[in-house]
Amino acid sequence: MTRSWPGGTPPGHFSPAIFPMNRSDVNTQPAALLEARDITKSFAGTKALAGAHFALRGFEIHGLLGANGAGKSTLSRVITGHLARDGGTLTYKGRPLAPRSPREALEAGIAMVMQETSLAPDMSVLDNIFLPELGRPGRLSYATNRRRAAEILDELGHADDLSLDQELRNLSAAQRQLVEIAKALALNSDLIIFDEPTASLSPGEVERLFQVIIRLRNAGRALGFVSHRLEEVFALTDRVTVIREGRTVAESVDTASLNQSELIRLMVGREIGAIYTARHVVPAKRGEPILEVRNLRLPPMVTDVSLELHRGEILGLGGLVGAGRSETVEAIFGLYPGAGGTMKLDGVAFAPRSPTEAIRAGIGFIAEDRRTQSIIPDFTVRENLMLAHLGAHRGFGLGYRARQARVDELMTMLDLPAHRLLDDSMLNFSGGMQQKVIIARWLLLEPKILILDEPTKGVDIGTRSSIYAILREIAARGVAVLVVSSDFQELIGLCERIVVMSDGRSIASVPSALLDEEKLTLFAAPRSSMARNLDLLRGLAQNHGGAAFWAIVDENRVFCLHTTVSDRDADPGFGAGATPRFEETRIGAALRARSAAFVREPDSGLASLVVQVKSPRGHDLGSIGVVLPPGLDLPEAAAIQARIATVFEAIQ
Amino acid sequence: MTQVAGNRAAGEGRFPAVAKRLTGRLEVRMLGLALLIALSLSILSPYFLTTNNLLNLLDQSVVVGIVAIGMSFVILTGGIDLSVGSVAGLTGVVLGLALQRFDIPVSILLAVLSGGAIGLFSGVLIGGFGLASFVVTLGVMAIGRSLAYIFSGQTSITNIPPALNDLVYTTVFGVQTNVITLLALYAIAYLYLTHTKGGRTVYAIGSNREAARTAGLNVLFYSILPYVISGALSAVAVTLLSSQILSIDPLAGNGLELDAIAAVVIGGASLYGGRGTIIGTLIGVFIMVMIRNGLNLMGVSPFWQGSAIGGVIIAAVFAERLLSGDRMRR
Repeated sequence: MTRSWPGGTPPGHFSPAIFPMNRSDVNTQPAALLEARDITKSFAGTKALAGAHFALRGFEIHGLLGANGAGKSTLSRVITGHLARDGGTLTYKGRPLAPRSPREALEAGIAMVMQETSLAPDMSVLDNIFLPELGRPGRLSYATNRRRAAEILDELGHADDLSLDQELRNLSAAQRQLVEIAKALALNSDLIIFDEPTASLSPGEVERLFQVIIRLRNAGRALGFVSHRLEEVFALTDRVTVIREGRTVAESVDTASLNQSELIRLMVGREIGAIYTARHVVPAKRGEPILEVRNLRLPPMVTDVSLELHRGEILGLGGLVGAGRSETVEAIFGLYPGAGGTMKLDGVAFAPRSPTEAIRAGIGFIAEDRRTQSIIPDFTVRENLMLAHLGAHRGFGLGYRARQARVDELMTMLDLPAHRLLDDSMLNFSGGMQQKVIIARWLLLEPKILILDEPTKGVDIGTRSSIYAILREIAARGVAVLVVSSDFQELIGLCERIVVMSDGRSIASVPSALLDEEKLTLFAAPRSSMARNLDLLRGLAQNHGGAAFWAIVDENRVFCLHTTVSDRDADPGFGAGATPRFEETRIGAALRARSAAFVREPDSGLASLVVQVKSPRGHDLGSIGVVLPPGLDLPEAAAIQARIATVFEAIQ
Repeated sequence: MTQVAGNRAAGEGRFPAVAKRLTGRLEVRMLGLALLIALSLSILSPYFLTTNNLLNLLDQSVVVGIVAIGMSFVILTGGIDLSVGSVAGLTGVVLGLALQRFDIPVSILLAVLSGGAIGLFSGVLIGGFGLASFVVTLGVMAIGRSLAYIFSGQTSITNIPPALNDLVYTTVFGVQTNVITLLALYAIAYLYLTHTKGGRTVYAIGSNREAARTAGLNVLFYSILPYVISGALSAVAVTLLSSQILSIDPLAGNGLELDAIAAVVIGGASLYGGRGTIIGTLIGVFIMVMIRNGLNLMGVSPFWQGSAIGGVIIAAVFAERLLSGDRMRR
């Protein structure tokens, strides 16, 4: 594990000879609409940007890439006037630009779709879409706005399920994101930056959004697309700019000239494979779970979550933003005493009424947002490190001294400089250092269970791999580790098993060795946005008097997303969330055959038709299967295939 | 803003480490300010730097000083207690009425308990139900003063046992007991805030309540406790005041809340919570009392004293802002 590069230049830092980074090259292209040069920005001593460049021109979709915490969002916010830059130049339409507020940027024609939405929860969808108009002089035309908003929602494919009069607070995370997008579209700006717009969207909604973005490009707009999802970048962008640790390491490279591994190398500065080394071998049989959660309920975010966590295991909790993952682990930790359902800790009923009770029962919790949920800004680093100890401590005094020896050990283990323990504030530390101190805070208590919510958010790549190493080490010593993450690569690389959540429900618990990012993405897609597909399954099962399922079918396994059974005799032998091998199902022959016609099972006589489905842009969306009981006349396969195709062509 | 940050970064290198560590400590800076004021006053008035006047200064610090301890606890959690003055008035009346029937110790105990009970009432509404401290204590302020008038029958209670005088005028090594009480309370508060779980929890709540809760600290209990302490100490303060003048007025402690808040703020505490020290508060009390005393010695009209104190408060906070250069907090 290296943290500094002896040569001075980190590997993967491409020289201008390979990728054009100087102005003259750019000038041979059509003139840039916006050009950002050498942008710098610091927060409390931490450099978020240290010389970032970004150039956007009309008729293009330009990807802005980087790992978590690389500075993508900061750069976008500088360009759109949400943040004032410390240094560097911004040129827009040939003139210098220094937006002092988002308002000024909007007036100039620059809009942004924010990652953490900037909406007013008490106002209606319509009011939110035209929120920026409120800052403009002149009267608003209610009727025009209403018509325009309806058009935009229609374009996004949500005219029928998103009412303009709904209050925003009643919407799901995905719906809010769509309103945020509609808001930017309503401004009719020349330049729009989309900051991770897909983080809470289902694949179908992503498709629609991409179509809209492509249409905007063809109309001559300049579009920035911030993401760390590579498949989206390849599917959508024309050119990419990569930033790493606040610096641009590749500027305006044609997307077509890159491949995935080159892009990863640019983003992280090294091969990513190295981070997820020493993958766990899944033990055949675990003993009794140390933590058992059954039907956890915490409206409105969590409706039904069950999971089992074992000693020495790293369990992942995956899902899209807004799926209820954070609320789930916070409820386990006693932050919501009113949560429904049952929990057992070491076989004994467990219902913590406060974090203190959870801590004393041996649970540690590293929350998602360090700044608001973990760090006490007015405490020294040492006292911050001791904070959970103070929470668990029963005496009147502090009891710091008794812990000091262990603190010294942890500082060595985590590679933290001991002399910085007495620093006045943690806010001057890098995100990685802060996270290590927070991890040390909990390791100090030697918990039986350690829960981490987005443990590598805003953490540099070097610290990231050392955090993974620490988690593996404590798991090897018997600690049960539960990791929440929206980074699917991280979940698959780090965890042995992944519990997938969608719309507040746990829908599958799958060994990560069987998963890849694509399967996980399909599993995690919000059920609410799949309504049409589920209707289709119900219709197929009922009309033909059998069963229907939606699943990902790979070489020898089925990953079932949903099953509807009308006739018990036609049960394919797997339900939603199950991942059986072909021979473990009742329709093994049909799954193996991959035929375009019905296939009859030799033993049971069940007849099944399995139809592969793709999105209009060619994305694999798994397979739809129809299973009929023995002795029934087979309907025409072509008719069923056509019916399925219609639904998926008009996807969501 | 960027300008200031740049200057600061440049200046840091030149500062010798020791000096930086010292000026980096808020109490040291405030002590410097206090000494500066003392120096100017002793130049301006020949009477300022006399033993008598200095003992007098301490004596004048007692009431506001004791109330400022409770106020520090409350402000450290990010709250404010506007009710201290009227709680002092009301508990004074409780003391006066109790003295008609009970012994002195029992009466004092009753007064302090009633002060604590009023604090508990405010604290539960604020810490337990999440009401705004400003509003709750504003209400309690009005209720307290009104009850003080009702219970006292709108007049001063003057038939107080003279023995109560001993509470103040007994001297140890030439120092009055009320001053000793003041210093002892400050010592206890200092030790509590720096060396106990409860004290650190008070700071943690003010600095980041959510993080304190997530780390398992008892946020509910320690959000309420400061108001109880504040109420009880208001009663202690009014007890010492009554002992000194052997008369209890329902109007006692009028405006005390502003003096106490001013002392805490001059002492460098942040009204957002989490930042400030009890030593700083004591220095803040001394600064306020010195200015008032000095202006009296120089014969400045009492009507100008408000302007002087107000000016010092604003100047102190402004200087603190520039010196600490901390713009991260909201």
